[in-house]
Amino acid sequence: MSDATMRITGTRRRTVAAVMTVLGAVGLTACASGGEEEGAAAPDKTEIRFTYATGDESWNGAVKSVVEAYNAQSEIATVQLDPLTGGTDYATAVKTMDATGNWPAVIDMRDTRTYIEAGKLAPIPEEVTALLDDAVYSPASDGNVYVAPSTALNGEIGLNIIYDKAYFAENDLEVPATYDEFIELLEEIKANGDVPLATAAGEIWPSDQLWKPLASPVFAEWSDKGGFWAAVEEGKASVEDLREPLDRLKYITDNFVLEGWQSTQDAQTTTLLVNHQAVMATSSAGIGRLNDIHKVAPDFEAGLFIVPDDEGHINVLKNSVNGDTLSGLSISAQAKENGAEYDAAVDFLTYFYSVEAADIIEQAGVIAPNIKLADEITRNTAIPGAEDYFALLESPELVWYQNETLSPNFSAFNTFFRQTRIEMQDGQTSIDEAIAKSQAEFDNTITAG
Amino acid sequence: MSETHTVEKAPVRISGTPTAQSDPVRGGSQRFRRQRAAMFGFIAPALLVYLVMVIAPSLQSIQISLTDWDGVNDAYNYVGLSNYEDILGSERFWNAVKNTLLLGLGSAVIVNVISLAVALLLDRLHHWQGFFRTIVYLPALVSGFIAATIWKYILNFNFGAVNTSLRDLGVPTWAHDWLGDSDIVVSVLLFLLCFTLGGNTTLIYLANLQSVPQELVEAARIDGASGRQVFRFVTWPMLAGAVTVNLTLAMIAGWTIFDQIMVLTSGGPGFISETMAFFIYKVGFGEYRAGYGSAAAVVLFIVVLVSTVVANRYMRSREIQA
Repeated sequence: MSDATMRITGTRRRTVAAVMTVLGAVGLTACASGGEEEGAAAPDKTEIRFTYATGDESWNGAVKSVVEAYNAQSEIATVQLDPLTGGTDYATAVKTMDATGNWPAVIDMRDTRTYIEAGKLAPIPEEVTALLDDAVYSPASDGNVYVAPSTALNGEIGLNIIYDKAYFAENDLEVPATYDEFIELLEEIKANGDVPLATAAGEIWPSDQLWKPLASPVFAEWSDKGGFWAAVEEGKASVEDLREPLDRLKYITDNFVLEGWQSTQDAQTTTLLVNHQAVMATSSAGIGRLNDIHKVAPDFEAGLFIVPDDEGHINVLKNSVNGDTLSGLSISAQAKENGAEYDAAVDFLTYFYSVEAADIIEQAGVIAPNIKLADEITRNTAIPGAEDYFALLESPELVWYQNETLSPNFSAFNTFFRQTRIEMQDGQTSIDEAIAKSQAEFDNTITAG
Repeated sequence: MSETHTVEKAPVRISGTPTAQSDPVRGGSQRFRRQRAAMFGFIAPALLVYLVMVIAPSLQSIQISLTDWDGVNDAYNYVGLSNYEDILGSERFWNAVKNTLLLGLGSAVIVNVISLAVALLLDRLHHWQGFFRTIVYLPALVSGFIAATIWKYILNFNFGAVNTSLRDLGVPTWAHDWLGDSDIVVSVLLFLLCFTLGGNTTLIYLANLQSVPQELVEAARIDGASGRQVFRFVTWPMLAGAVTVNLTLAMIAGWTIFDQIMVLTSGGPGFISETMAFFIYKVGFGEYRAGYGSAAAVVLFIVVLVSTVVANRYMRSREIQA
C-alpha cells in the first residue's frame, strides 16, 4: 500500500469516525428525547401486561372491552393486552416468559398447580376474592388463593352439541332425552342422506368434545369417591372401565361423523354447520359458539344440547377449583416483587369482578364470572339459542360430578390419552390396544409419580 | 499475493525485533501467530455466544436427561437412566424415529434427484436463466412455518383448493384428507418438505455444473462420447463434492424437521406423523417433562451423528474415487 493511499485511507477513516460520532450522538439524543416523551405520555400510571389465551370471537371481544373500559377509568394503571393467539403453544409461551423473567402481572393461567408449586404465582388478596361467590375459588395447601375464575364457572356445561334447529323442525326431529335416542337421531339424519355430526381433532384437544359426554356416566359414578382418575391412581378403577364409552366413541365416529374430522380445526365446525355440511357440530365454547354463529349467519337457528346417558341424566363435570385442571386469572410472583405492578394487578382484578365489568362481558356474549353481586348483572338474553343453555342449567336431569386430578403429571397423561383415542377412532389401533397403552402410560406417568 | 512477498515485508514492519530481521522465516512465523491471534480475536465474540447459547445448554441437557425436572420448578430429582429406559421401550418414540429417518433420507434423495435435474436444465438455458433461477429459488425464501401454513389451507379437506378443484373437476373420489389420513400423511409431509429444500440444493448444483472445466467436456466429445456418457464420466464425478454437501444438508434438515409437523398435523392423527424433534418438543415443553425430553434429545443427537457420519464417509469415499 502506498503512502498516498494510506493517507487517503487514514483521512477517510477519520471522516467516517467523525460522522459516526455525530450520528451516534444524534441517535443517543433522539433516544433520550424519545424516552422522555414516552415517560411524559403516562405519568404516575403503572403499566402492566395481561396475558390471556385467545379463544372464540366472543371471548376475545369480552377481554378487549373490559381492558379498554378499565384503562379509561383507572387512575393508577394501564393494562396492555398480551394475547396468546391460536396455534400458540401455551406451555411453551409461559415457559419462555419464565425463562426470560418476563412474566405479565396478570395471566390467564393453565397447568396451574405446576406453577403454584414452583412459586411463580402470587396470592390473590382477600379484597379481590371477597367479590367472588365463595364456591368458585379455593385456597391451595398453603392457605393462599392463587386463581380466580375468568368467566362463569358453569362446569363443562359449555361442552355440548350445537344443532340446526330449522333442520330438526323440518324433519320432525327432537333433542334426545336418552343415549339411545341420540343414536336414533344420528341414524335418522343419516337416513335422510345428510351428515349427522361434524367434530374436530386437528388441534387434538377438541377431541374431548365428543368423548367427554360419552365417558361422563362412568366418571359420575366415581364422583363421591374422590373422582375416577384418583380411583385409577389408587388401583380401585382402571382405564378398562372406560371400554363402553370408547366403544360408543368408535361407533359414532365410524358411522355418523363428517369425513375429515382428523384434520378439522375446532373453529371450522361452525362453518361446516352453517354451510349445512353437517346437521350438528361438537363445541366447547357454550354460549360463545352460539354468539359466533349469530354473528356470521344471523338467520341460522342454532340450539344446543348435551348427550344424555342411558337413563337420561345429563352428567356435567364441575369446575376444578384446586385440581390439576384448575384454570383462571392469576397474579405473577414477579409482579409481587415489583410492588407497583402487584397493586395495579389487584386493582385490575377488582374491576374485573365488578358489576360494570360483568355487564361488559355479558354484552360481548360471554357469561360473566360468578360474583357476589350476580343479581345486579344485566344478562344478555339476545343471543339466539341461549335459552337452551340456561335451560340446561335448570334441567332436573342435570347431574354435577367431580373428577379432581391432583397429580401435576395429569395433563401429560391427558394429552397422551387424547392422542391414543384419536388413533383408535382413526382405526390405527383397536380398543384393546388403546386401553392397554393408556393404562401403561397412566401407570408410568401418574402412579409411578 | 505470494508468500515470498509477505516474508520480505515482515522485517520492515516488525521493528525492534532483531531476530526477526535476521531470520525472515521466524519473523514470518511470528507474524502468522499474531495474525492468528487477531483472527481469534475477531471470532471470539461469536464463539463466546455460541459456547454460552448452544454448547453449554447442549451439554447441560445431558445432565437434565438424568432427572425428572418439569422445566419450571427449581427442584428436581436424579432418576438415573430411567428416562432412557422409558424412551427406548416406547413404541411412540420408535415411530418418531422411523418418521425422522424416512423424512430425512427420503427428502435427501428426492430433493437431490429433482434439484440435479432442474440444475441441468437451467445450465443448458441460454436465455432467461436468471428468471428461471429465481423462480426455482423462490420457495426457499419462504420460512418453513409460513409455507406449512399456506399448505395447510391448500390441503384442507373441506375447504382447501386441492379438494375443491378435484370436486369441481368431477373426481370427488380423488379428494383426500391429505393431512388427516394416516395412510398417506407421512408421504404428504415428505412431498411438502421437498418443496422448501429444493432451492438451495439446485443453486449449489448449478454453481458446480458451471465450474465443470469445459476443456474436459470438449475432450470427451471429441473422443466421441455421447451426451449421456459425458454426464456419466465427466460431469457426474466433478459433482461429487456438491452431492456430499447437498445430501448432508438435506439429511440434517430432514432429521430436525419440526415446524411443518407442528403446523400441519400436530403429530397426528394420533401419533402417526410425529418426528423426533416434534416428540422432544411435545414431551419436553407441552407435557412438562423436561428430563424425559432431554433424554430423547440426546438420543436424537446420537442418531443424527451416527447416520450423518456414516453417510458422509460413504460419500467422501466416492469423491476420492472420482
